[in-house]
Amino acid sequence: MGIITVEKADHLFWLGRYSERVYTTLKLYCDGYDSMIDLDDQYHKKLCELLDIPDIYESKDDFISRYGYDKTDPNSIISNLLRAYDNAIVMRDEIGTETLAYIQMALYGLEAAACSEAPMIRIQKVVDNLLAFWGCVDDQIDGRCIRGVMKFGKRVERLDLYLRFQRSPSEIRRNYSRLVPRAVESGMPYNKEALEQLKQTIQAPVIDYDAALTQLGRILDV
Amino acid sequence: MHDICREADAINEQLARYGVKFGIYKNNVFKEQLFPFDAIPRIIEADEFAYLERGLRQRVTALNCFLADIYSDKKIVKDGVIPPEFIYSSSGYLPQCEGVKPPKNIASHISGIDLVQSQDGTWYVLEDNLRVPSGASYPLIARDLCRRASPRTFRERRIEDNRNYAGLLKQVMDYVNTGGDNVIMTPGRYNAAFFEHSYLAEKTGAALVTGSNLFVENDVLYYLDYSGEKRRIGAIYRRVSDEYLDPMNFLPESLIGVPHMFDVFRKGNVAILNAPGNGVADDKGIYYFVPKMVKYYLDEDCITRNAPTYLPYYEQDRRYVLDHLGEIVIKDVAEAGGYGVVFGSKLTRQEKEDMAALIQSEPRRFIAQDVIDFIDIDIMENGERTPRKADLRAFVLSGEDVVVWKSGLTRFSRDPDSFIVNSSQGGGFKDTWVLSR
Repeated sequence: MGIITVEKADHLFWLGRYSERVYTTLKLYCDGYDSMIDLDDQYHKKLCELLDIPDIYESKDDFISRYGYDKTDPNSIISNLLRAYDNAIVMRDEIGTETLAYIQMALYGLEAAACSEAPMIRIQKVVDNLLAFWGCVDDQIDGRCIRGVMKFGKRVERLDLYLRFQRSPSEIRRNYSRLVPRAVESGMPYNKEALEQLKQTIQAPVIDYDAALTQLGRILDV
Repeated sequence: MHDICREADAINEQLARYGVKFGIYKNNVFKEQLFPFDAIPRIIEADEFAYLERGLRQRVTALNCFLADIYSDKKIVKDGVIPPEFIYSSSGYLPQCEGVKPPKNIASHISGIDLVQSQDGTWYVLEDNLRVPSGASYPLIARDLCRRASPRTFRERRIEDNRNYAGLLKQVMDYVNTGGDNVIMTPGRYNAAFFEHSYLAEKTGAALVTGSNLFVENDVLYYLDYSGEKRRIGAIYRRVSDEYLDPMNFLPESLIGVPHMFDVFRKGNVAILNAPGNGVADDKGIYYFVPKMVKYYLDEDCITRNAPTYLPYYEQDRRYVLDHLGEIVIKDVAEAGGYGVVFGSKLTRQEKEDMAALIQSEPRRFIAQDVIDFIDIDIMENGERTPRKADLRAFVLSGEDVVVWKSGLTRFSRDPDSFIVNSSQGGGFKDTWVLSR
């Protein structure tokens, strides 16, 4: 199946973005959880600031509970996973039941973690399912443009998050170089000028992260 | 079969993994629920199925003749076989369809015929569903999992493989296709049967679309791909009710339809599966006349049997219904999905009086049937076999040939005191095995 509607392309793009957002923020959440056990009481404040989300959490325990699993918190990981699910469920015909199943299982896994006495140990299953999801995308989806659109979304999100976290220039450059071919393969319209400007920004000896984020945001303005 | 029952939990876990769910609205809130699967199958012997197959093919052929006739010459009305009131007062009759001939003159491509088997083994048809019958996808995916759970069962027993459903559906779509792509049109993610829409799209290779993806230009139906290229549609298996299909021809407030889609159909430029207007043939009142249709159009005796049915519209029947209100089941012809079904035995005295008054004031609105004590089928509950009421939805696909799918959806009631098997009312489902010898 190579022909997809505009609406479907949008769902695929956001499926890529949200599943990547969940994957990367889960890793940060797990790292943060570890440091919040006995090392860093303020970690969650920094995380909120970097993610540019309101710090509505009353304490680190409140953050651990709500940022991970509260479906009424629009910025929580589970809310983002539900958005990935919402975009995936309408794409069964394009991505296939087998591929969709990994998003479904990731959601079951996070819901199970939420109810568990020891949620962090169970989050590994969620991460495994997200990785399996991307493996299944490569293995099972024949349509190059379908994979391309999803991976374009994934790469935009990864770079966005890495810029927010001011990751090292080498990591930023590596992820930029992974983004460019996906933009081309997706077949989606994108702003080539913004992509070129972003390249200039991240090649500078000192990266202006805010400028880079703005340029990344403009890539989809066409 | 023992192996399958032993693995029932594993099968249900896999069904959850694959998102085999149905949506339900409770207090205006949408919820997705898993459709509980019971691993003990319904088994239909080869000769028994051969009888059903003959009967169902005949029945659906006659119903298709009826639909072609009723929107053209109306010979069956003119010849006095069916009173005109039953046509024109049916909510499923669409005057817009008058004179419209669907591609290959097939109106009901996918027919879901609901049957029950009485204690003496007789099969009775309870309903003909000719609009958008759902349910085939559930036994389809369950069979795959049962084969994984117990290959030995399927090696040792001669069970017809039911996994050709998507292939049969595609053949029908291809046959009536007027030139262009096949698509499945869904009302969207929050429809009760969305799993089925998306699963069948995947399995048939048809594009899954919503009304907002489609448009009409110069009497041709298209969808737009993301690079801006128009794709012509030749066959649309719509899972949207007639009234919401096209706001220019039906309900103007419909937001999920496609303006002028019906005009494209009228001009013969797209096949709509099932055709608009089929509701007139699966009206519960018209059901009474199906055996007469078979005789009228095919000059054959009807093979399938209707449940003994009374039409309060006829005075003699009305008297019988009012005299036996406590023993029969009353159905509101406008309702579906197990709603509007009232068992007289469960009514209080006051409720009986109210129902009698309603029947007298609106006789066309109801049919009444003798309660068929249909057979129980065992389900597993808390590790033990326990009997429950179950029906069978058989699927008949009409394209170049009329084919009865060698399987079906067996739905069962989880409530031991209930005859209502609908998923929307808490029922579960089973696989249906048709033995090949």
